Amino acid sequence: MLRKLFAAIPLAAAMAGTTSAGPSDDPAAVLQTLIDSTSSYYLTQSEQNLMMMPASPALWTVEEGEALFHEPRGPNEVSLEGCDFGKGPGVLEGAYVELPRYFEDTGKVMDLGNRLIHCMKTLQGFADDDPAITRIHGSNTDHMRLQAYIAAQSNGMNWNPPMDHPLEKALRDAGEVLFYRRSGPFDFNCAACHGDEGKQIRASVLPYANNPKEWTKAISWPSFRVGHDNLRSSQHRVSECYWQMRYPEIIPGSDLSIALISFWTDLARGQPAILPDLKR
Amino acid sequence: MFDHKTLGTVVFAALTLVGGHAAADVDYTKMSPHELAEYLLFEAGGFKLDTEVQEGGTARQRLVQDELHKLCSETRNRPSVEQAAEISLAARESVKYPGGDIQLGDWEKGRQLAWSGFGYRVGERTDDHTKGEPGGACYNCHEFAGDRQGGTIGPSLRNYGKLRGTEQPVLKLAYGIIYNPHSMFPCTRMPRQGANGLLTEQQILDLLAYLFDPESPVNKE
Repeated sequence: MLRKLFAAIPLAAAMAGTTSAGPSDDPAAVLQTLIDSTSSYYLTQSEQNLMMMPASPALWTVEEGEALFHEPRGPNEVSLEGCDFGKGPGVLEGAYVELPRYFEDTGKVMDLGNRLIHCMKTLQGFADDDPAITRIHGSNTDHMRLQAYIAAQSNGMNWNPPMDHPLEKALRDAGEVLFYRRSGPFDFNCAACHGDEGKQIRASVLPYANNPKEWTKAISWPSFRVGHDNLRSSQHRVSECYWQMRYPEIIPGSDLSIALISFWTDLARGQPAILPDLKR
Repeated sequence: MFDHKTLGTVVFAALTLVGGHAAADVDYTKMSPHELAEYLLFEAGGFKLDTEVQEGGTARQRLVQDELHKLCSETRNRPSVEQAAEISLAARESVKYPGGDIQLGDWEKGRQLAWSGFGYRVGERTDDHTKGEPGGACYNCHEFAGDRQGGTIGPSLRNYGKLRGTEQPVLKLAYGIIYNPHSMFPCTRMPRQGANGLLTEQQILDLLAYLFDPESPVNKE
């Protein structure tokens, strides 16, 4: 479905890149709009990846996710159409760029992954130990299919995580402390790699946290990672960073991870999300 | 239907399963950002803290900050002039120099160390130190020579020795920087290879050889 739309409205998609009115269907066009509006070595570092964007394998995953989302599944044999991602049951458009957010029914600030798990358990009846729930970081997972589909409904829309509830603000602010907090055998914090513009780890240009126009790409997950030949999530990114930083292994979906993701999403506020993205 | 004890257990289990509140009565909004960050690190099920780590002990200790960590975190690596002076003084005092003159080690071993990122990673893939020696991971941030692409977070070290010579004070300064770089650059992002016990004295001397030996590729351009 998505692919047909690309062909039908290339001009509209290109123009939709800078507005937050509704989702665009072409992540490559959103990225191009950003590239045209600023000068960023990070955004333009891989000509090969830019060329691959229009045929990104992630676009197939979005289609698989769409089918999976609407399919009656789990012991209760219902679809996820009744799941509330923050904008009402079944409303997907623009939901992802407003996550993490506080949910009244759980009393918690949740990201997309946590919210999906919540609905898979409460609506579909999946058990805690069902692989559909527990396979979070693996390849070709239900999680990545569903996240890619849901996130794609926010492509081109501006990041706008709500900060109305005190818990949202508390976690975002703790995330900022964590981002700059140094420890571990190498004395690293997140800012060690993301505190300057245009720096490289070997050949790889790092995104600068305080340049929202490149940071929006950095936090645009799910993303097809060329080096992994698979889609990866924001939780996977956090996990890989901490692994390289020689920190303990982080628990995906923990409040710690939500705090970091709340802060990093806030840093990209007002910039269009590229969903699904493609990265090295 | 449920007695109080059972219900309590169910509620507690639900809270710990969804994502990490260690206790139901904890109110995040009553904590300062700093307090909440510490709580999330140590109390809220954020990390696998009990994993055994390569240096001995458990992963928990890796999250504990020393004075340097605290100062550089609070100032976001921009300490005041007074703080910077304190940091570099303490760092200089931490450096244990080899006895006698500094003798350059083996540049080829130094090159291997500089270009190895192996060591100290824990999690789904854990570095087994019995199967390989931890490296210095220098290449992530530094460029050394034209033969391989290094990073740019730190300065380029091309022609390091050729530009500086190999007098003892120069070697001593470089040894101190690798051992504890805060001696010269307070709140630098560079790891304290000696002071944190990551590299041995001999390994640092091998790294110095990679930087200073006229035969090293670093000085061959």
